[in-house]
Amino acid sequence: MGIRLYKNVDLKEPFFIVGWPGIGNVGLIAVDTLRKMLNAEFFGEVEGYEFFNPRKVKIKDGLLLNLEFPSNKLYYSKRGESDFLFFVGEEQPKRGVTSKYAEGEEAYNMANLVIDIAERFKCKHIFTSGAAVSYIHHTMLSKVWAVPNDDSLLPEVKKYPDVVLMSEIEGRGGQGFISGLNGLLIGVAKKRGFKATCFMGEVPIYLQGLQVPYPKASRAVLRVFNSMFNLDLDLTNFDNIVLEAEDKINEVYEEIPLEIREQLEKLKEFDYIKRSELQPLTDENRKRFWDEISEFLKKGGSKSDESL
Amino acid sequence: MSRYKSIKEIRLEESYLVVGWNKDTGKISQKVVEFLNNAFSSEMIGELEQKGFFSFSGVSVEDDIAQFPFSNFYYIRDKNLILFLSDQPDYKPYEFLNLVLDVSEKYFSVKEIYTVNGLISLSPHTSVRKIYTVFNDRDFLDRLRGYDIELLTWEGTPAISSYLLWLAKERCIPGMSLWTGIPFYLAPIEDYESLKVTIEFFDKRFNLNLKFDSLNELIIKQNEKIRWLRDTDEEINDYITQIENGQELDEERQLKLIKDVYEIFRGRVAL
Repeated sequence: MGIRLYKNVDLKEPFFIVGWPGIGNVGLIAVDTLRKMLNAEFFGEVEGYEFFNPRKVKIKDGLLLNLEFPSNKLYYSKRGESDFLFFVGEEQPKRGVTSKYAEGEEAYNMANLVIDIAERFKCKHIFTSGAAVSYIHHTMLSKVWAVPNDDSLLPEVKKYPDVVLMSEIEGRGGQGFISGLNGLLIGVAKKRGFKATCFMGEVPIYLQGLQVPYPKASRAVLRVFNSMFNLDLDLTNFDNIVLEAEDKINEVYEEIPLEIREQLEKLKEFDYIKRSELQPLTDENRKRFWDEISEFLKKGGSKSDESL
Repeated sequence: MSRYKSIKEIRLEESYLVVGWNKDTGKISQKVVEFLNNAFSSEMIGELEQKGFFSFSGVSVEDDIAQFPFSNFYYIRDKNLILFLSDQPDYKPYEFLNLVLDVSEKYFSVKEIYTVNGLISLSPHTSVRKIYTVFNDRDFLDRLRGYDIELLTWEGTPAISSYLLWLAKERCIPGMSLWTGIPFYLAPIEDYESLKVTIEFFDKRFNLNLKFDSLNELIIKQNEKIRWLRDTDEEINDYITQIENGQELDEERQLKLIKDVYEIFRGRVAL
């Protein structure tokens, strides 16, 4: 287990931006898009043997040629006065085959390894990104939930476009839980004395079980990064991706039975940020239509389990 | 190495390791190890600690009997053979497989590794069983070309045996996986013909001079049972004939064939 660096890179207190897959791949898409837009260069990786099962084997004419593990790559970029370090993980380490998110010893070790990298490069702030499952409709703008690991960071994160805090979400009282490594990392960062913030783009609750990207939420996170680092990035191309994804979601949406769709339409009126008189969803209704929607949207994804 | 519990202190200067995974297709690993253990009155010499590798969320029940995961090493004294039969770990396969290799190197000075596996085949039970093989070293492959084996070409999700071969390669231990084809309708039970060709490979490889009388009897009984099923059930006979003619059954017919064969072999239908 370890960090392999293929090039000596001199970075000055870089911002460390970390992305893993998750719901809608919101964080991974945001981080990886930013990495590409900043022309960040690959220069190292974290070996995955201890964290992941191999995902592919290549056997030819009886000879075992290769075993592939999910990658965990490091990139860097120097842009103006700021240096950036990126960590892009293809998979979150899972405990066993049934868990959905990273958890347990493997997750903790991975988080510490990433913080080791932050320490090595004297990173001044660590950012992670993920999804916030919200009572929004997919035609609505995704906001970005921000969770810093230190209260001194609150005034800063509030400055950015469409950023909300957990305390602003109705019924949450500033409480919540960030599943997986995007959450764990900012916790381990806190323990080891690093400032860190998780930005979570909102994903409609009824799409959380659908294993497709939700770039609209990633777009919202990118907008925050753009503003925070004064990058002046042109997101026009990314907007096209957002529109394409929305068209596809609309196609599926139109096939949802009318009764369920009528319930979902109410989300357009449901402002969960300000206190609202409107209470369109009882807990029972939420569960029922979520179950129905999940069942409907998940139809057909059978997967082969052959292995050699 | 504290997770290896040695039952008999054995240090070897050279040995060969045969690895099998409990509950694999057609129970071929388990049966190969059982056969060799019985043939040579082998002794259990050690085990790996299960804690940390298995979920312990309950116990599985097989043929009415509660099971518990195990990872045992056996020793066939005269032949320098070490057998390792284990459940596949639920967690930390990298650590688990490295532990197997650590023990194999430290205590037994293992020179070559062989893994035994069953491979579901669409061939009928009346066809010759084939052993498909994967090697982690070209020289080793070349040395074993004279054996009656097929060389596999495949890309996809790796099984634990491929993972073990890969880790063995990193330690420069030559290894091969044997994937013996088992007719799909015998895979949920046992296939003594597949078992025999697998054991024959080891017999030849290690000059074991094994006697196959008991296994031959089991093969005759197995074939008799299927013959009886074919004679009494026209539909099943038709399905097997189609397979023998190289045709593929649809899923519904495959499932019926598997179910009816299973019931015959599990004694739920009186012969």
